[in-house]
Amino acid sequence: MWLPFMGLVIGVIIGLLTDIRIPPEYSNYLSIAILAALDTLFGGIRAQLQNIYDEKVFVSGFFFNIVLAASLAFLGVHLGVDLYLAAVFAFGVRLFQNIAVIRRILLTKWTTNGEK
Amino acid sequence: MGRPKNVYFTVTASIIGLMVAIQFQTVSEPEVRDTRDTWELRNDLMGEKELQSELLHEIRTIEDKLTKYENEREQSKEQLLKETLEELKGEAGLTEVTGPGIILTLQPIVNELGQEVPMSRVSPSLLQRLINELNMYGAIHLSVDEQRVINTTVIRDIGTVTKIDGHSLNRLPIQIKVITKNAEEADKLYKRMEISTVVEDFFIDNLRVVLEKPEEDIMIPGYQDTIRIRYMEPVETGVGGDG
Repeated sequence: MWLPFMGLVIGVIIGLLTDIRIPPEYSNYLSIAILAALDTLFGGIRAQLQNIYDEKVFVSGFFFNIVLAASLAFLGVHLGVDLYLAAVFAFGVRLFQNIAVIRRILLTKWTTNGEK
Repeated sequence: MGRPKNVYFTVTASIIGLMVAIQFQTVSEPEVRDTRDTWELRNDLMGEKELQSELLHEIRTIEDKLTKYENEREQSKEQLLKETLEELKGEAGLTEVTGPGIILTLQPIVNELGQEVPMSRVSPSLLQRLINELNMYGAIHLSVDEQRVINTTVIRDIGTVTKIDGHSLNRLPIQIKVITKNAEEADKLYKRMEISTVVEDFFIDNLRVVLEKPEEDIMIPGYQDTIRIRYMEPVETGVGGDG
């Protein structure tokens, strides 16, 4: 369970050390992509806790969601509609739901462990 | 928790971390707060002033260099040649010139009844004499009926019409413009022409020469055709010369 967290930390460190910057006009897309990736990650954690985890679904969902979110934002920019808000909304809601489910599962696990 | 699951998770998490870091670096504008005190500000100002003076110095040296190059260019042989060419063109009569001078106008004479006597023609020999006389008395640039008179200009009779370099002189009045070296010369020329006999000779052709007072700015057009040189060729270098 600690390995993914380590990966996250390593990724952040690499990113900070390499000092990569993207043009400011693309930061919108990246933020959406991050949101999508986080959503997939928490979805994956939840699925693991519910024992319905499938790595194909996880990996494909990860990349597909990122691309979808970015292209949605791109389309929104070109249509003049803030379509990225739709992605933000959808991913935000799912993120909260996933985290809530994870919290409940962990809570039940903890209480059952305590009762034991 | 199997091994591959963890690997995928780790890779995904590290990608997310990378993205977050990049986004963070891109979005976070470093907020620089000015916390320097007066002394530091003064030092910084000094530094900037030094930079400014250095830059000014640089600008000055570069401008010096520029003027030097320009001087060199002006003094170069090419410039000299160009100037000589322009000078020669001016002397040959290919350029338009303005200067002080006088204007002579050939007009038909009026008889006792107040009628204009039709002119027969402008005699070429008479015109040549007039031009010779003008040249003798200090004319530098000449034009007859807006035709520039140059060294190779021909004035001749072609089929009862007097022509100057192919331009027919069959319509009165005909203006002869003369430019002299300066205003004094123009004045002298004017006085000489007043007493000249050539002017009276034009009476034979039923023409009257009207002399106008010297003017400051007379414009004479350049020679319009190309000058054909038929009997001249450049000297072979090294033969009799020092080239």
